[in-house]
Amino acid sequence: MSYQAANPLADEFELELGGAWTAYWLAFLRVVTGWWFFHAGVTKLIEDGLAYTYGPAYLRQMTGTALGPIPVLMGEHLGWLIQAMVPLGETLIGLGLMVGALVRLASVFGVFFMSLFWIGNAEFGHGLVNSDFMGLLLFMTMIVLATGRYYGLDAIIEKTKLVKRHPKLRYLLG
Amino acid sequence: MQQHTTVIDKAAMALSGGLMLLGVVVLGIVEILAGKPYSAAPLTNDAGEIIATPMIDPTLRTGLVLAGILVLALYGLYKLVVPMENEATTAQQEITAD
Repeated sequence: MSYQAANPLADEFELELGGAWTAYWLAFLRVVTGWWFFHAGVTKLIEDGLAYTYGPAYLRQMTGTALGPIPVLMGEHLGWLIQAMVPLGETLIGLGLMVGALVRLASVFGVFFMSLFWIGNAEFGHGLVNSDFMGLLLFMTMIVLATGRYYGLDAIIEKTKLVKRHPKLRYLLG
Repeated sequence: MQQHTTVIDKAAMALSGGLMLLGVVVLGIVEILAGKPYSAAPLTNDAGEIIATPMIDPTLRTGLVLAGILVLALYGLYKLVVPMENEATTAQQEITAD
């Protein structure tokens, strides 16, 4: 009997990344994570358009965090950009994940957003692992497992000639 | 599918995983052993006054986790820059054929 460090369940449960249940669950997780961000973004767009003033205000109050002066400086000097990019970014990240297109690239931005939420909210009353941190881990999971390849458009996009000519694009897709 | 991991892959996994687990789990255990508050937030009474503060500054713990994420981000950039394994193999084969 061989021991597989990469997939210790292979003998008993056949939990392969190409397996039906894995594909089903990763696609489901991706769509729900996408909906979470899409809902957050599109409701901001409906209410405030591209002038989400709470964005820069939120960053300006992030003093004394592990990110040092970066968020405060962003809030002070990039306010106009953040007002537009928070609702637009959340919506596009959510859309990307739901349809499964450019999932890894979208998830990198998702990690960026969630890092700021996790550090900025600083609601650690029940420990460091809170819902913001779990959201951050979800986006990292999307990147590591390339979930766009499971019932997502990335599975189709990766078969195009462009991606075959430039295989590194798969690091942004998938 | 057989996956080949290089020293860089293993270093990225060990360093990022180590930093994140140190921030979340190891220092979390220290926080519990140090007594109340058991979490990374100050403990307050009914009047809202702080009666106990965390032994380890949450800034340090969150900073360690962010450092782990940064390692993974740098690893991602590294993968974008270096030639892919099959690209390198193809190039090597071409040289051999010449």
